Amino acid sequence: MTIPRVVVCAALLLAGCAGPARRAGEGATGGTLVIVTTGDADVLFPPAGAVTTSADVAGLVFSRLADLTFDLNTVDDSGFVPELARSWDHPDSTTLVFHLDPRARWHDGVPVRAADVAFSFDVYRDTLVNSRFRPNLDAIDSVTVRDSLTAVFHFHRWYPEQLYDATYHMKVLPRHLLDSIPRARLASSAFARAPVGSGPFRFVRWEAGAVIELAADTAYFLGRPRLDRVIWRVVPDLGSAVGVLLAGEGDAIPLIPPAELRARVRAAPTLRLVPYPSNAVAYVAFNLRGRGGKGAHPIFGDRDVRRALAMGIDRATLVRSLFGAEGEVPVGATARAQWIWSDSIRQVPFDTAGARRLLEARGWRSGPGGVRWKSGVPLRFSLLYPTTSRLRQDAAVLLQAQLKPLGVDLRLQPLEFTLFEERSVRKDFDATFQARTLDASPASVLQLFGSEGAPQSNYGSYASPAFDALAHRAIAAPTRVAARPLWREALGTLNEDAPAVFLFSPPVAAAVHRRFAGVRIRPDEWLAGVGAWFVPPRDRLPRDR
Amino acid sequence: MLTYLLRRLALALATTAAVVTITFALVHLAPGEPFVAGAEDRFVPPETVARLRERFGLDRPLGVQFARYAANLAHGDLGESFARHRPVAAVLAESLPNTLLLGATALVLSLLFGIGLGIAQATRAGTWADSALGALALACYSVPAFWLGLMLLLVFGEWLHWLPVSGMADVTLRVPMDGLRHALDVGRHLVLPALTLALVNGAAVARFHRAAMIEALGADFVRAARARGLGERRVVLRHALRSALAPAITLAGLSVPALLTGSVLVESVFGWPGMGRVAYEAIFARDYNVITAVAVVAGVLVAVGNLLADLGVAAADPRVRRA
Amino acid sequence: MRALRRGWLRFRAHRAAVAAGLLVAVLAIAAAFAPLVAPADPLAQPDPVALQNQPPSAAHLLGTDRFSRDVLSRIVYGARVSLGVGAAAALLAVTVGALVGLAAGLASPAVDQLLMRSVDVALALPRVFLILLVLALWENAPPWVVVLLIALTGWFQTSRVVRALVLRLRESEFVQAARALGSGRPGLVRRHLLPHLAPTIIVSATLDVGNIILLESGLSYLGLGIRPPAPSWGNMIQDGKDQLFSAPWVAAAPGLALLVTVVAFNLFGDGLQAAFDPRDRR
Repeated sequence: MTIPRVVVCAALLLAGCAGPARRAGEGATGGTLVIVTTGDADVLFPPAGAVTTSADVAGLVFSRLADLTFDLNTVDDSGFVPELARSWDHPDSTTLVFHLDPRARWHDGVPVRAADVAFSFDVYRDTLVNSRFRPNLDAIDSVTVRDSLTAVFHFHRWYPEQLYDATYHMKVLPRHLLDSIPRARLASSAFARAPVGSGPFRFVRWEAGAVIELAADTAYFLGRPRLDRVIWRVVPDLGSAVGVLLAGEGDAIPLIPPAELRARVRAAPTLRLVPYPSNAVAYVAFNLRGRGGKGAHPIFGDRDVRRALAMGIDRATLVRSLFGAEGEVPVGATARAQWIWSDSIRQVPFDTAGARRLLEARGWRSGPGGVRWKSGVPLRFSLLYPTTSRLRQDAAVLLQAQLKPLGVDLRLQPLEFTLFEERSVRKDFDATFQARTLDASPASVLQLFGSEGAPQSNYGSYASPAFDALAHRAIAAPTRVAARPLWREALGTLNEDAPAVFLFSPPVAAAVHRRFAGVRIRPDEWLAGVGAWFVPPRDRLPRDR
Repeated sequence: MLTYLLRRLALALATTAAVVTITFALVHLAPGEPFVAGAEDRFVPPETVARLRERFGLDRPLGVQFARYAANLAHGDLGESFARHRPVAAVLAESLPNTLLLGATALVLSLLFGIGLGIAQATRAGTWADSALGALALACYSVPAFWLGLMLLLVFGEWLHWLPVSGMADVTLRVPMDGLRHALDVGRHLVLPALTLALVNGAAVARFHRAAMIEALGADFVRAARARGLGERRVVLRHALRSALAPAITLAGLSVPALLTGSVLVESVFGWPGMGRVAYEAIFARDYNVITAVAVVAGVLVAVGNLLADLGVAAADPRVRRA
Repeated sequence: MRALRRGWLRFRAHRAAVAAGLLVAVLAIAAAFAPLVAPADPLAQPDPVALQNQPPSAAHLLGTDRFSRDVLSRIVYGARVSLGVGAAAALLAVTVGALVGLAAGLASPAVDQLLMRSVDVALALPRVFLILLVLALWENAPPWVVVLLIALTGWFQTSRVVRALVLRLRESEFVQAARALGSGRPGLVRRHLLPHLAPTIIVSATLDVGNIILLESGLSYLGLGIRPPAPSWGNMIQDGKDQLFSAPWVAAAPGLALLVTVVAFNLFGDGLQAAFDPRDRR
C-alpha cells in the first residue's frame, strides 16, 4: 500500500513534476483528498469487507507484508517492494520467511510483531470469519513465528506465485486488539467500525451512508504520506457524483464508465482524467449444456454456432456506443492490467457475411419473422443480466439490435442481482452476462473456464482439455517471459472455441482535481500510490489547510 | 378522548402486526436467498452461504423463525443486519433521523405552501388569478416527485449553481464544527429535496384548502365578523382560516405515507442518507431484518401521522375538542 | 340514468374539464394507434454511435436517446404502458373497492365491522414499500403483475366511500319502497343502488388513473416496473437520468408527457366530480 522512497521518485518523474521528490519544509505536506464514491463501506475489517469502498479504505489503514509494484508482476520476487516485511527469503521450495521491519507500529503505538502475522493468517483462514479471501490462501499450510520479527509461511507445494499469495490477499491485523473478540463476532465488533491499522493513514470517523475520514499517520515508519486527510463522500448516483466533483465539493472518482459523464469531466477546467489500464472484463457466457447443466444445449452445444454469434457481434461499435472513443474491446479472458494482455492473441473476427454462411452451413435457415430455425427449434435465446448493472443492460439492448438482422432472436431477461447469480450458478439459463474484476494474477482465468476449477463460476460448463493443459503449463512457468507465449496460446484457444464473447472492458480513468500532483494509479488498487499525491502550496483550497 | 386514543392504539398495533406478518412472509417466500450473491458480483462458496444461514437462523423452519422474530420484536430487538454486520437498530438510528428531518421540513413547508395557496385562491375565487394559481397547484399535484427533483437539480444545482446537488452536508468541513455553521450547511443541502416533496404534497393541501376556505368565507360567523366591521385581513386570517384549518391539517397528517414514499425516490435523486435509501439497498441485498424493520417503522410513522392529524384538528377547532 | 344525464349537462359547462377529457381521448387514441402515430420504430437504433443523444431537430422532434432511438416515438409507445396500466389498475381497483363497499353496506353489522376494520388496517400499510418489495424480489414481473399489485393495494378508499353511500341509500325512501314492494337483493342492487353509485365510482376511477400513472412511473424509474427495451415513461426518465446534464431532453420529455397526462386525468376527474357530486350543486 505504501510506496517506498524509490517508487515515490519514479511516480513523480512519470507525472512530470519538477523539483526533488521530497522537498523538506513548507509545502511538503498538506492537502485534503475528497473521494466521491457511489457506495458506502460495509465493514472496515479487511477479511470481511465485501465492497470496493471498504477495500479502498482498508488499503490505506492497513498494510501488507510486501506489495506489488505498478506493473503488477505477480510471478517473480522482483515485482514486490517491502512494506511491513523489510526482506524475505526462500530457505526451501515450500518455505517463505519474512523479516519484519522493527520500526513498524500500529496506530496505537504498539509495535507490529510476527505474532500479528500468524494471527492474521489464522483469522483469514477461520471459517467463522468467512473471509472471501480464504480460498486465495489455500496453498499455504500454516504460518509460524520464529522470533518476534520473523514469520515463516509453509506452503503445500512449490509454484511461482508463492510470494504473491502470501502477501497480496492478507492485510496484517493487530492481534492485541482482536485476540479477545470471538472470531464470529469480529466483523460486527467495534473494531470493524473504527479500525486500528499500521498503514499510512489513521481512521478518524465514519458516518454511515455519508462520510469516512482518514488522517495521515505522521509517525508512519516508511515516511508520512504527503496529504493530511483522505475523505470518502457517499453519493449513490454516479451522475450526481460527477456533479459533486464539478461543483468543487469533491476531488476524485476512480471510475466513470459512461461517455457523457466523462465528457463533462473533460470539459471541466478544474478536473482531469487520469487513465490507467483496466482490470475488468464483461462477457456473455453461453450455456454449452442444456438447462440445469444436463445434455447439450440445442443452440450453444454447437461450436460453429457459437463462433457464428461471435462473428456477428460488432464489438467495436458496441464499445464506442457505450463509452465513446475510450472503451476497449478485450482480446480475450483478460484485461489490460494483467501482464498477459497481448494484441496477438487469436480472435474470432467481426464478419456478418461469414456468420450468415456459418449458420446456413449448420442448417439454421431463415423462417417466419426473420428468425432462423433448425429442425423445429428457433434461433432464440434469453440473456440474463442483473438489473443493478446499467452498463450490462445498455450493452444487452445494443446486442439485441445487432443480432436481429442475423436472424437471431435475443430476449432480454433482467433479474434482480441475487436471482441472476442463483440462476447463473444453477446453470438455469441460455446465456448470462457476466462481469469480472480480474486478479492481478492471470491464474484466475482457470476459475472461469477451467474444466476442473470452480464449477460454480465456469457458468457455461466449458471443458477443453487443450485449454486446461495450456493454462496449467503457463501457470507453472517460472518467469513471465516463459509464461507469455503459453498464455497467448491458451487464450487464443478459448477465443476460437467461443464459450463466451468478451464484449468490453470499461474505459478506466479516474477523475482527479487538477491541484493534485504526483498522481499515479495502480490498476488493481487505485489508491495504492496515494502516499505520494500532494497539493503544491500555491494551489491549495480552503479545505486543504 | 380516552376511548379514542385506545382505539387508535389498537389500530396501530393491528397495523404493525399486519405489516410484520406480510413483510416477513413476502421476504421469506420470495425466490432467492441472502448471502448467495456477494457484493459487487463476487462469487460466494456454498459452504460460506450455509454457515451464514446457520448463524442467522435461516436454516430453521419458517414458523420457528417467525416466532423468534416476533418474540424479539416484542422486546424491541430488531436483529442484526446481514449486509452491514451490525444491529438493525444502529442502522436505523443513523438513517431515520435524516428521513424525519427531511420529512418534517417537507411537511411544514407543504402546509405553509398549501395553506398560503389555498387562501390566495379562495380570496380571489373566480378571478383569473384563482385559475392561474389553481393551474399551478394542479401541475404540482400531478408531477412525478422524482422527475421534479431531477429538474430542480438541473436548474438550481447544475445551471445556476445556487445549491448543492447531493448529500446532506459538506464533508470537507472540519469536525467538530460549531453548531450554527453545521446547521446552515445541512439547511442548504435540505432545500432542494424538501422543496421537491413540499411542492408535490402542498399542492394536495392547497386543493382541499381552497374549497374549505371558500366555504368558510361564506359562512354565517364570517359574515357576522365582517358586519362587525373587522378588517378583511383579520376576517380571513383569524376567523375563516381557523375553521378551515382542520381539513388541511388532517390531510397533512394523512400525507405521511405519501411523504415516506416520496422520500424513497427523492432520497435517491438527491443522495440523502435516509431510511428510504437504506430500505432500497436492503431489498436488493435481501437483508431480511432491515427490510422488516423498515416496514415496521413505516407502519408506526403512518399511525403517528394519523394521530397527529387528529390531535391537530382538535387543537385547531374548538368544536372537536369539546366533543 | 337521469342523474347521469343531468351530470353530463353540468359537465359540459365545465370547459377546462371538457378540454382535458378530449386530451385524454387523444392520448388514448395515439397510444392505441401508436404504430401509425409514432414517426419511427421505438426500438430501432439507426446508429448507436453517431446519432446518440442528438438534441431535438426536424428529424427527431424530441431528440434521440443514448441508443439513437427516437424519443418522441418512445413517448408515443410509452403512452400504451402508462395509460394501459393506469386504466386497467384503476378499473380493477375501483371494481374490487365497490364490491367490498357494497358487501359491507348490505351485510350484517358484524361482517361490516370486520371488513371496515380490515380496511382501516390496510389503509395504514406502507403500500409502495410492499409493491416495491414484491417487484424487486420476484423474477421479472410482467406488466399484468404490476397492474394486479397496484389494484389490489388501491381499493381501500373506494370501498369506504361506496359503503358510506350504500348505508345512506339503504335508508332512503325509494329503496325502502322497493323493499316493501318485494324487490330481492340482486334486483335492488342492480336497479336502485348501482345507478346511484355509478357517478361516484366513475369519478373515483378517473382520479385514480392519474395517481396510478404516477405510481407506475416511480416504479419504472427505480427499474422495477416495465423492463427495457420496451419504453415506459418512468424507465425513459431512468434512461435519461445519467445524461441529465448533457442531454436533458431525454429525461425531460417523458416527464412532461407524464405531467400533461396526469393533469388531464385530474382535471377531467375534477370536472366529473363537480358535475356529479351533489354537495357542489350550488
